[in-house]
Amino acid sequence: MTILKNAWLSITRNKGRNVQIGIIIMVIAIGTSVALAIRNSAKSLIDSYEDQYEIEATIGVNRDTMKENMKDMAPPSTDSSSGSTSTERSEKMDDMRSAFSEASNLTVDEINSYGDSDYVKSYYYSLSVGLDSSSLTKASSSSSSTTNAGGNNNSKGMTGGPGTETSTTDFTLVGYSSISAMSDFVSGNYTITDGSVSDDLTSNTCVINEELATLNNLSVGDTITLYDSDSTTNTITLTITGIFSENDSSESSSSGMSMFTSSANTIITNTNVINTLTNKDSSLKVTTTPTFILTSKDDIDAFTSEVESKGLSSYLTVSTNLDQIESSTETISNVSGFALTFLIVILIIGGIVLFVINMINIRERKYEIGVLRTIGMKKSTLTLQFICELSIVSIVALIVGAIIGASVSIPVSNALLANEISSQSNKTSEVASNFGMDKQNGNFDHVNGVANTQAFDSINAVVDIKVLAELLLIGLLLTIISSIAALVSIQRFSPLTILKERS
Amino acid sequence: MKKNKIEDKKSENVLTLSNVSYRYYDAEPDEYVLKDISLTFDEGKTYAIRGRSGSGKTTLLSLISGLETTYEGDIIYRGTNLRKIDLDEYRSRDIGIVFQSYNLLPHLTAVENIILSMDISKINVEDKRKKALDLMESVGLKREQGDRRVLKLSGGEQQRVAIARSLSYNPNMIIADEPTGNLDKETEDEILQILTRLAHDENKCVIIVTHSKNVAEIVDVCYELKKNDK
Repeated sequence: MTILKNAWLSITRNKGRNVQIGIIIMVIAIGTSVALAIRNSAKSLIDSYEDQYEIEATIGVNRDTMKENMKDMAPPSTDSSSGSTSTERSEKMDDMRSAFSEASNLTVDEINSYGDSDYVKSYYYSLSVGLDSSSLTKASSSSSSTTNAGGNNNSKGMTGGPGTETSTTDFTLVGYSSISAMSDFVSGNYTITDGSVSDDLTSNTCVINEELATLNNLSVGDTITLYDSDSTTNTITLTITGIFSENDSSESSSSGMSMFTSSANTIITNTNVINTLTNKDSSLKVTTTPTFILTSKDDIDAFTSEVESKGLSSYLTVSTNLDQIESSTETISNVSGFALTFLIVILIIGGIVLFVINMINIRERKYEIGVLRTIGMKKSTLTLQFICELSIVSIVALIVGAIIGASVSIPVSNALLANEISSQSNKTSEVASNFGMDKQNGNFDHVNGVANTQAFDSINAVVDIKVLAELLLIGLLLTIISSIAALVSIQRFSPLTILKERS
Repeated sequence: MKKNKIEDKKSENVLTLSNVSYRYYDAEPDEYVLKDISLTFDEGKTYAIRGRSGSGKTTLLSLISGLETTYEGDIIYRGTNLRKIDLDEYRSRDIGIVFQSYNLLPHLTAVENIILSMDISKINVEDKRKKALDLMESVGLKREQGDRRVLKLSGGEQQRVAIARSLSYNPNMIIADEPTGNLDKETEDEILQILTRLAHDENKCVIIVTHSKNVAEIVDVCYELKKNDK
């Protein structure tokens, strides 16, 4: 109590000195709270991104293995004794094709097995089959064969899908197990121009490319009938609920010389439709593309190991969208890094300035120290009193600094991150538009690749309890560091010497 | 070293210096400021320590007050060697020090300076402010002066505050280093009267380091230090 009383008296009677220290601490507090607020906001935004950009694992061709095998089958050098014969190479190539073909055709059971993992939050897949139609004219500029790859070759969600093979059928029917699986719509590669994608994933409905629709004079509500070329009795009739367009960029076309886009003959439906067909004809060639939503980015390696242990072929490998997510949060990470650097610089400079100012103040207070020691105040009590004084000044300055910092940090951090918020908000709206739905009507919050703009509203609450707690901790740390000056001086000063000097 | 006056009054010994020697840490081995000093101080008496500049008066006072600890010999306070005593507590409870330059804290008022001393000594007083004002009155200050910053008081008034401060925790000894050195003759007499009263009426042991002949004449015992006394 005596210490507190004396500290308070000393503060109130030496206002100039304490205001000087208070201003320095306040400036440090402002800078620190701004830096902490920006850092925390950036971190929460990154967390928010990571929550919404779920970690997707797909299974695709292991090109490294393929290359290795190809090397083994390389033509022999001039030294015929060291290489294999052409017959042997041909046999190896056939073996590899066979193995690859077998491995690349993942079954739904295998997908279910891989999806039944502690590391997997959810999973979905798409199935694609080649079909013909007697009533439809395929969109083709010349030949009758079409290269189909279970949808669009450029599709983000489909990349790495196990297998691209040549089909002799006219159309590719792609069935998705969920709305989320329709990655071409999510990414904006496809956009509904009329009608919408049916959210009833058990119905015999489909959406078709506008080029196919125009060519066959089809519109929303019409029906189309497709059949299995190997079993003409195996037919399916689908009602068109929507017509989509593929982004008409040259890059999206599978062939630079084609007058139609690569998805012109792609008919999009649900897996239930494909299953109906395969149930009637088990020999129907189905290409499966799975997507696994992992629980955490930390589980990627564990999931890969688990899948391999469950028998994933060496021709296939697990790939994820982690790089994509990390690249999308790079800007925010940079802002966070900048805030951290700023924080460190301000703490170092502030700490040094505070230490020096305190040293000077202590020297000015040598006489006081001498008198107090002479009349019997213990070194420890005196040190505590000085620390107490500095703590009181620090707390007041920290509170004022935090208030000013809070009002400054909100616009500063918002300005720094505004572009990110804006671009993500636009992205969500665009995705809704791609599906031909209003943003309000569809649940796009957790569709892969889509950030939830709602979460970004919390960026305004940048100076929160956590920031204040961190600020208080830093303030205490600075007070302790500054108090070292007092501690050292009090231990070093001899009261007798001080009073002699004074005399 | 001489005794000035010896009274037959029986009094209890408070402090004894036994063969005390002191030299600065950077001095030659035989270059002593004080050499084999043996003195006794009793309660109820006033003592003067006189000597020329450099004779070691203030050093002796520093040793007695426990501000200097690197001495040879023994200083015994009420039967206990000073080396075995917590010197901070000793200074805050057992002795009161009055300096020539007062050594009051300028940012505090007169009363606050006195109360601070009471706080440090942890003396149990119900109303410290009242006691401080009473002490001020006892050394000839007005109560109204209690709330003035000490720098707004005259030199004599500041010295009275310093004496009041040294009395605030009721110590056994009052050690005064040239307490009247900065004061005029009239004020010097008043201060000396106060110190004498403290010894004779309140049974304190009052030790005054001084140059003043006037002081030497009115104290009960006067010790004179000679320079380079070996």
